[in-house]
Amino acid sequence: MDNCFDVIVVGAGNAGLVAAATTAKNGLKTLLLEKHNLPGGCATSFVRGRFEFEPSLHELASVGTEKAPDTVYKIFDQLGAKVDWRYEHNMFRAIVKGEAGYDVTVQSGIETFCDSMEQAVPGCRASVRALFDLVKKNNEALAYITKMKGKPNGLVMVLKHGDFMRVASHSVEEVMNALGMPEKARNIICTYWGYLGVPTDELNAMHFLNMLNCYVTDGAAMPYLRSHELSLALCKVIQDAGGQIWYNNEVTQFLNNEEGAVCGVVANGQKLYAKEVISNVIPHNVFNMYDQSKIPEIDLKLANAREFGISVATVYLGMDCTMEELGINDYTVFVMGDPNPRKQYENRETDGIYIVNCLNKVIPDSSPKGTCTLFFTIPVFGSDLPKNLKPEHYKMYKNQIAKKYIEDYEKLLGISIMPHIEEISIATPVTFARYLGTPDGTIYGYKLSDWDNLLSRISNEKNEYTIPGLSFCGGHAFRGDGYSSAYVTGDTVGKRIVKKIKGGI
Amino acid sequence: MTKPNLRSLNKMDFTKVVPTRNQKISDAPAKSLPPLSSYKANEIAAALHPKNQKLKVAKIIEQSSDVKSFILVADVESGTQSLAYFSAGQYLSITLNIGSSVITRPYSLSSSPKESLIGEYMLTVKRTGGGLASNYILDSWQVGTKVMASAPLGDFTYEPLRDAKQIIGLAGGSGITPFYSLAKAIADGDEDACLTLLYGSCTKADAIFQAEFEALAASCDRFRVINVLSEEPAEGCEQGFLTAELIRKYAPESGDYSIFICGPQAMYNFVDKEIATLGLRKKFIRHELFGEYRHPERDAAYSGCKDDSFHLTVSICGETKEISCNADDTLLVAMEKNGIAAPAHCRSGICGWCHSQLISGEVYVPKSVDGRRMADLQFGYIHPCCTFPLSDIVIDVPPFQA
Repeated sequence: MDNCFDVIVVGAGNAGLVAAATTAKNGLKTLLLEKHNLPGGCATSFVRGRFEFEPSLHELASVGTEKAPDTVYKIFDQLGAKVDWRYEHNMFRAIVKGEAGYDVTVQSGIETFCDSMEQAVPGCRASVRALFDLVKKNNEALAYITKMKGKPNGLVMVLKHGDFMRVASHSVEEVMNALGMPEKARNIICTYWGYLGVPTDELNAMHFLNMLNCYVTDGAAMPYLRSHELSLALCKVIQDAGGQIWYNNEVTQFLNNEEGAVCGVVANGQKLYAKEVISNVIPHNVFNMYDQSKIPEIDLKLANAREFGISVATVYLGMDCTMEELGINDYTVFVMGDPNPRKQYENRETDGIYIVNCLNKVIPDSSPKGTCTLFFTIPVFGSDLPKNLKPEHYKMYKNQIAKKYIEDYEKLLGISIMPHIEEISIATPVTFARYLGTPDGTIYGYKLSDWDNLLSRISNEKNEYTIPGLSFCGGHAFRGDGYSSAYVTGDTVGKRIVKKIKGGI
Repeated sequence: MTKPNLRSLNKMDFTKVVPTRNQKISDAPAKSLPPLSSYKANEIAAALHPKNQKLKVAKIIEQSSDVKSFILVADVESGTQSLAYFSAGQYLSITLNIGSSVITRPYSLSSSPKESLIGEYMLTVKRTGGGLASNYILDSWQVGTKVMASAPLGDFTYEPLRDAKQIIGLAGGSGITPFYSLAKAIADGDEDACLTLLYGSCTKADAIFQAEFEALAASCDRFRVINVLSEEPAEGCEQGFLTAELIRKYAPESGDYSIFICGPQAMYNFVDKEIATLGLRKKFIRHELFGEYRHPERDAAYSGCKDDSFHLTVSICGETKEISCNADDTLLVAMEKNGIAAPAHCRSGICGWCHSQLISGEVYVPKSVDGRRMADLQFGYIHPCCTFPLSDIVIDVPPFQA
């Protein structure tokens, strides 16, 4: 059998799919290897009884519409991957419990967003509006840096793009404080920290504002048939372009040649060779499948320097009544024990933050008539698991988590969920460790901690992960976590490899 | 309110971003990275969901002339150190090499979860008319036989946040096995539920685990068993079938109860009609796997002809084989008959382990066992374990993994 390819992509997660689609579509002989029998990684679905659940996607950022396409829409469109997008215009409802609490719903569209913020926190409009002005300035600066091929003139930066430099090198809280934004308004907007997994006093402001702007201008998008639709649409592109996808093919070794370049992999005991290998698998795992003495010092040090991103516990409920009968009106509700993001993060195991989604609000027929689904997400680390947790107590452990959050939500909204549960599935970092195979079940790759933030990753990207023939894409890569970031890295790396091979660089 | 002043932030901090990063990296050790097994979440995931379990037969118990229980233990020499814990009601998918075929079969664990902690699983196998795999096991497994099994699988389990605490179990034939596990799990205190088991057999002699059930019921007041005999009267037993009337008789007088059903297909067909008259909500009715779907030609929706035979082209990792497939065989069975090892676990359309791509051709998938995802239908993916050919077929199948 032919075992030589132009490109081997390891892992059919979001980024791996886009990378493989990009190389295949550009005429490179592409093989995508996936250890599971399904594509998508996080972007999949699962069936229980008469329900098909969305396992991970809350709202896809940066999609946009046919008339106003944003990054993700463009990536899918250029590849020819067809997705039936559905949109949600209420961004979220944020409920903070306790005396300092509030219950605020914010909407998408810059003006309506500012309106809903002004209504919740009178007097905050100017400072909220200023955030979006900063986004514009950021984009101008980034366009200039791109035009200069990443080597901007320092003087031009200092004179023309000073605010960008400020925003890009400070935390969300620092920037919001400097804008004079009232604390309550800061807290409401910062509710979104959960999607990046790092509280806003540590989270890079440029990164956060970029995400906020995407949600506010585009709204949130969801594929009609769960994330499995996204993944299969990309598989179709790969196959239509002549690329191959091999499922049940777990890569167990990365091969290197005499020059110290990665030249292939071993999957199912078979050696497969390629000019370029693209890994959608987190570097930590790749390095454990590679001769560690051959790993450049900077790569090994970087891996050791990094912390893992957060994971989640999730509860999927198939309900035998409608959302109206339940008394649920929102797609996304954030529930928090304290208004402050740092407190929410620190109290994550007791009364921090959780998200409840009801997909029927966006896609009414996403479950059979007379039913609905609920999806609880609780950010936790794999390292938060009780140290003495034994496999035989795991079922009880996960049921305790589910019970706690379901009852909390029932009490908060004064509704009754428990008697209507027809199907239930509960995931924890153990589940994500099982399916994704990431260390401690991280779903967010590496933590976007202060020094390892988006700007520093992008700025230094070309000096890192230096093994020739090997590139990385995915939620662990230079754009940080989330579906849209993963797609972007797959697109960037895929195009880079096309240029490298076809351009003979 | 403070006057907005972004200038309070030093823009020259921008120039420190990369140096700070490089300093952090430079300060980190260049030591080798810890293995995945050193992380708690991965350790538990690996213990609960091993890729496979290499077992061997340690003991064989003759339950009756046509039923044997096999005690399986970890085959340490082959690399399995311990058994994965499970929930009562789960099954193992067993790989069997019969002649030139590699086939799989799901068997419910009849042992308790607690017994897995002392290193034992039990499977109970009954001889049946056309039971290729069961008869093979009964005839060939000896003490010492090596057995390749999956991790525990399946959703026929008691879920405390979903199910009523009062369970009425309806069992027929070898469908008793998961209930034996559940009864023991309840007696062990590992499941907080009460089980009333209505166990349908032809004669009292056909009922498996009689002595074991009696001993369990005597020691645990949350479990009781009622033998329901269709072909003879017997003292202390009900006579007849598993009817709605019988369920009503043994159901709790007040409050909700869940019905769990496991048995042969004929029993599902019968009891489903009976249960429908009880007016229970869907959430309170749980079925174990339907089992291999047979006789598609009896379905009103079937448009094929059962005597047809088609060409089936199977592509696995770029290698292609051509075989023939009878109209009344599933694509999975056709592959197995022709010596192609293909992935499968539940063989009932549900688990999706056989998920494959339909490249071309027309197929029939019975609605009652179509457990596919919606996007699968749109993009042309199938579960070969419950898919019948209506024309020549080309499919792309992932390689078999034991």
